[in-house]
Amino acid sequence: MEGIGYAWTALTTTPAAFAAMAGVVWGILGGALPGISPSIAMALLLPFTYTMEPVTAIVLLAAVYVGAEYGGSIPAILIRTPGTNAAAATAIDGYEMKKQGLAGEALGISLVSGVIGGLIGWFFLVVLTKPLASVALLFTPPAYFALGVLGLSVIASLSSGSLIKGLMAGTFGLMIATVGTDPLSGVNRFTYGSSDLLAGIPFILVMVGVFAVSELLEQASKRDWARATAEEAQTRIKLPNWAMMKRLRKPQAIGSAIGLFEGCMPGAGGSIAAFMSYNEARRWSKNPEEFGKGSPEAVAAPESANNTVAGTALVPMLSFGIPGSNSTAILLGGLLIHGLRPGPLLFEQNPDFVYGLFGGLLVANLSLFFIGMLILSPAIWLVNRPKPYLMAVIYALIFSGIYSIHHSLFDLYIVLLAGGVGYMMRLLGFPFLPMVLGLVLGYLIESNYRRSLLLTNGDHSVFINDPVSLVLLIVAAIFVIGSAWRDYKTTRQQRMAGPKT
Amino acid sequence: MKRDFWIGLVTLGFATLYWFEAAKIRISPLDGPVGASGLPKVLAMTLGVLSILLIIRTLLARLNTKPPTENAEAAAPLAEKLRPHLRAIGMLALGLAYLLLIPTFGYALSIMSLLVAVSLYIGADLNRRTVAVAVVGAIFFHLLFVEFLDIPLPKGRLVDTLLVFNN
Repeated sequence: MEGIGYAWTALTTTPAAFAAMAGVVWGILGGALPGISPSIAMALLLPFTYTMEPVTAIVLLAAVYVGAEYGGSIPAILIRTPGTNAAAATAIDGYEMKKQGLAGEALGISLVSGVIGGLIGWFFLVVLTKPLASVALLFTPPAYFALGVLGLSVIASLSSGSLIKGLMAGTFGLMIATVGTDPLSGVNRFTYGSSDLLAGIPFILVMVGVFAVSELLEQASKRDWARATAEEAQTRIKLPNWAMMKRLRKPQAIGSAIGLFEGCMPGAGGSIAAFMSYNEARRWSKNPEEFGKGSPEAVAAPESANNTVAGTALVPMLSFGIPGSNSTAILLGGLLIHGLRPGPLLFEQNPDFVYGLFGGLLVANLSLFFIGMLILSPAIWLVNRPKPYLMAVIYALIFSGIYSIHHSLFDLYIVLLAGGVGYMMRLLGFPFLPMVLGLVLGYLIESNYRRSLLLTNGDHSVFINDPVSLVLLIVAAIFVIGSAWRDYKTTRQQRMAGPKT
Repeated sequence: MKRDFWIGLVTLGFATLYWFEAAKIRISPLDGPVGASGLPKVLAMTLGVLSILLIIRTLLARLNTKPPTENAEAAAPLAEKLRPHLRAIGMLALGLAYLLLIPTFGYALSIMSLLVAVSLYIGADLNRRTVAVAVVGAIFFHLLFVEFLDIPLPKGRLVDTLLVFNN
C-alpha cells in the first residue's frame, strides 16, 4: 500500500506521467527508424535528463524502451525492414499480412500484443525486483567486486563474436574508467595534465559515441539506402476483434513467458526472445502451416515477447545493478547520473523513486495503446523522410545534447573519438556491451576490490573466503569456460567440415 | 584470421604501454595495500594475456586450416575495399569540422553548416529543400536549446566582434 502511495505521489506531483507518455512517443518514432535501436533512442535523450528529477528522468528513458519495442514493428510490417532487431521476427509474417491487404490488422495485433506483453513484464518487474534486491543485502565488498566481475564475464561470454574479444572489450571499458582522479587516494591517473580529464571520462559520452555516432558512421559508409515506400494516409490500425483475441491468447502467453525468462537473463534480450517465441508459437499452433504466410499468431508472439522483455530486463539491473543489455546499460547510466545506486539500498533509501518508476512504467505501457494508434501516421511520415536529412538532424542533436551537459566542447571531441572507436570495434568484431559495462561498473569493481583488501590488509584470499564472492566467481568462471568450450567446438566443427565451396 | 593476429599484436603493444604508464602513477600516503596503480596494472596484465591468447588462437587456426580459396571480396581492389571506411571517416571529419567552426562562427551558423554538409555528404542535392532543412533545423535547435532549455550555447568570436563594432 505504501508503494501505491509513493507511485501516486510521483505521478501527480512530478512530470513523471507526462515523461512516460513523451518517452513512449519518442520511443515509437525512434524505433520506427531503421538504424535507431532502443538504446540509441535512449542515448540521444540521456543528456537531456541531467537536469530532470530522478524519477522523471528514468521514467522517460524506460518509456522510450517500451515505445521503441513497438515502434520497430511499424516498418517491419509496412516495408519489411525491422526498425529494431527485436522486430525482425515480426517482419516475417507482418509483411506477408501487409501484402494481403491486412497491414492495419497486423499493426493492430502488434500493438495489442505489445501492450499485453508490456503489462505482464511490468507485473513481474514489480513482483520480482524487491525480493531479488534483498538477496543483495548479504553482499559484502568482496561479493560486490565478484558481482561486477560476474556481470562482465557473463556479458563478454554471451556477446556476439569471440569470447576473447568480449573480455578484451570489457578490459578496455575498465581502463577508460580509471582515467581521472582516483576517488580513494586523490591521485591523478592518465590525465596528462589536462584539467578536462580530472573528473574522468563520463560514461554518457562513451555510450552516445559508441552507440549513436558509430551507427551514423556505419550508415554513412553504405550507399544502398532504399527510400522507404510505406503508404501514408491510407494505413489505419485495425484492432483485433474478440474472436481474434481468443486465437491470439496462446501465442501471447508463449511470447510473454519467453520474454519473462529472457528478460531476466543478462545478454539475452528482445531479439532472442522474439525469435524463440516465434518458433514456440509455431510449434504449439493449431495452424503451423500458416506461419511464414501471414499468420496473426506469428505477429502476436514476438511482439508480446519483446515488450515483456522491456519490463523484465529491468529486474537484474534494479536488483543488482548489472545491466543485461545495451538499453538497460543506458538506464543504469541514467540512475548513476542522478546519484542512485541499484540494489536493496535503493528500496530502503529511495522508495519514492522505485515506486514512482513502477507507476511511470505502468502509465507508459497503458498509454502505449492510445499513443500507438494516434502516432502511426507521423511514424510512417518519418520513415519516409530522406535519409540524408534524418542523419544530419540526428548528428546535430547528438552534438547539441552532449554540449548541454557540461557546456564543454571537450566533451564533443570525446564523443567523436568514442564514435570512431565504436566504428573500429564494429569493423574488428569487438562487441560494445562489455566495454560499456566495464566503464559503468568500473568504479563498483575497483572501489570494492580495494576496500576488500583494505579490510584484510592486502590478503587476496578474502575473495575466496567470502562464500557469496566465491560462488559468484565460480559462476563467472563457468560462463567463461563454457563459452570458451563452445567457441572451441564451433571452430573444430568448421575445420572438420572443410572450407565452403 | 590474419586480421586477428594483427589485432593481438596491437593490443599487446597497447597493454605494454599501459603498464608503463600505470607504473608512473604516483604513490599516495592514502593508498591502502593496493594503490591507485593497482587496478591499472592488473588490467594491463589481463589485456596482455588476452592478446597473447588471441595471437595463439589465430596461429593455431592457421596451422590447422587450409588457406581459403580466393573469393570475390578478397579479390576486390584495395580502393574499393577502403571506400566505405573512407566515407565513414568523412562523416567523422564533418563532425570535427563543426567543432572547429563553433568557437569562431558560433552555434547557429555552425549547426546550419553541419546540417547542410551532412545532408549533401549522404546524398541530398544542393537545392532549396536542403537549405530549408538546414535553416529550419538551426532555428529549431536554437529555440529548443537556447530559449527553451536555457543552455548558453557559444555565440562565437565573429558575433562577439560584430557586437563590439555595433556598440
